[in-house]
Amino acid sequence: MADAVVLPTPKAELSPTRAIGATRWIAIFFFAIALAFAIVAKSLGDTFYLRLATEALIFGGLALSVDLLLGCTGLLPLGQALFFGLGAYASALTLKSWGDSFWIALAVGACVSALVGIVAGLIAIRSKGVYFALISFGLAQVVSKIVFNTRELGASDGIIGVPPAAVLPGVASTDPVAFFLVTLAFVALVYAGLAYVMETPFGRQLAAIRSNQHRLAFIGFDPKRAKLAVFVLAAAIAGASGALYPMMRGFVSPELMFFQVSGNAVINVIVGGTGTLIGPLYGAALLTALRSVIGSYTEHHQIVIGVLFMVVVIVAPKGLIGYAAALIQRRRTRTAA
Amino acid sequence: MDWLHFVLAPQVINGLSIGVAVVLMALGLTIIFGLLDVINMAHGEFYAIGAYVAVALIAAGLPFWWALALTPPLMAVIGYATERGLIQRVFHSGDRHTLTLLLTFGLSIVVEDVLKLIFGANPLRIDAPIEGATEMLGLFFPNYRLFVMLFGAMVIAAVWILVFRTSLGAMVRAAAYDRHMTASLGVPVNVVYAATFAFGVALAGLAGVLLAPIYSVFPTMGTDFVLIAFSVVIIGGMGSIKGAVIAGLVLTQIQSISSLWISPVWSDPLLFGIMVVVLMWRPQGLFGRLGHG
Repeated sequence: MADAVVLPTPKAELSPTRAIGATRWIAIFFFAIALAFAIVAKSLGDTFYLRLATEALIFGGLALSVDLLLGCTGLLPLGQALFFGLGAYASALTLKSWGDSFWIALAVGACVSALVGIVAGLIAIRSKGVYFALISFGLAQVVSKIVFNTRELGASDGIIGVPPAAVLPGVASTDPVAFFLVTLAFVALVYAGLAYVMETPFGRQLAAIRSNQHRLAFIGFDPKRAKLAVFVLAAAIAGASGALYPMMRGFVSPELMFFQVSGNAVINVIVGGTGTLIGPLYGAALLTALRSVIGSYTEHHQIVIGVLFMVVVIVAPKGLIGYAAALIQRRRTRTAA
Repeated sequence: MDWLHFVLAPQVINGLSIGVAVVLMALGLTIIFGLLDVINMAHGEFYAIGAYVAVALIAAGLPFWWALALTPPLMAVIGYATERGLIQRVFHSGDRHTLTLLLTFGLSIVVEDVLKLIFGANPLRIDAPIEGATEMLGLFFPNYRLFVMLFGAMVIAAVWILVFRTSLGAMVRAAAYDRHMTASLGVPVNVVYAATFAFGVALAGLAGVLLAPIYSVFPTMGTDFVLIAFSVVIIGGMGSIKGAVIAGLVLTQIQSISSLWISPVWSDPLLFGIMVVVLMWRPQGLFGRLGHG
């Protein structure tokens, strides 16, 4: 009944909350497939594909933070790799100097990124639309250049020889299956957490900002406060995802903050489906696999990825899961009516 | 006095020769945004294509001057095709800003890798067509840099005249202000759009050729350079021609002169800091948009 009083928007579009609700089974399918993959890989004694899949999930975490901003709030971040890289560096330094605790490294990574996110957010959320995109791009560019030239952080070499992290007694990040499952659990928690957040009043505010932030102010909410909060939340998620990176790879390099990482995260989100939260995870998995497959034939895989991305933007701007969500939603409304 | 003469003056001249190239880039960006509402993320790659086109033409045996004359029209053709073939496809969708930005971003990835595929990742060089240096007031200035300064200033003046003093420019400004009204007055707005995009791309290509003998030519050369151009456009005001010229010259001077005291590593953070301060003071940039007031 509540839906009846809502005025139709000029362009009938799926709101993020609806899209997330419609794709719940697609999300469960994703995590089920991931678990099945872990069992198969374990029984075959594989390491390479487990590591690749873990990397896909880590970048999937970054893509989730981009979707929180782009799909759920309507802010396009072109420099999210900044927070991913900060988390990775913080985690690497923690593991190197404070001991091998997974939890401390993860917390430090998330906190450092969140703190920098407050400062960066205060600068970035003043602007909107394309200005926001360009400022987030510039911020990441500047910080990555500083890191690239700071000898204390290993300059262009980054930090190598990061010791493995101990998740639980006897479970180390060097175990491919265990760390894949840990990363999967992390990503699942972030996904479920964000899907819940979008149901809360705060999530509704974000969706309102996406539609029209001026109207949000008219009904008594401060869009700036919500934007800062979501920016810091996205920074913390990106930082926590980044914190997992050195645990798996054993090193961090300034390339983690470069535009290519930010750009790839946006590609993962767009190809997978903006505003669906599960789309970015499908996107990250699909594109990581694609890069690995094409990369074994040619080093010019960016041409293929770029063309695929452009085709998606032109032909299917909602992305793969976005279309699936719209389809499911339409069928549901038909059955309900 | 000596310090002014021997330390500061050369920096100012160096800054100016780069400054005009930055202004050419920023003019392209700002005109495209002012008219089409498109953030061209591939602008830096068009700059790189311009430099590579010159490299290819010179390798084919043409002198530099022919490359300088032929590159902008070739780039304009590429720009026209890009607007017609790609940008128009998402131009009329609801979320034009984001979609065109994403589309040109995708294009930039493809172009960068295509350049790498054709020319290799290693930096290439073009010899400066004008050798030697001129002595002025007891200082030596490389002739080519002086040429870039004068030629660039002439092009900037020509752009100004074209946009503000010709009927062609009036069409562009009118379309930027109100496309529907302009279309109903008989202006072929779609052609104006494509031509303006082509013009902006040609300017980026021209900047690429002009700077090719000063810097080396490599596939990612546009990525760093475009950041300065974006800062210029944001500070000057998106879509403002006056803003692009003034902010472009001032920012490159600040960058050039500050390099006397701070390491070049810090010049990007400095520019960015200035941008943030300007945005806090005037979120829309210093000057107004093309066709508005």
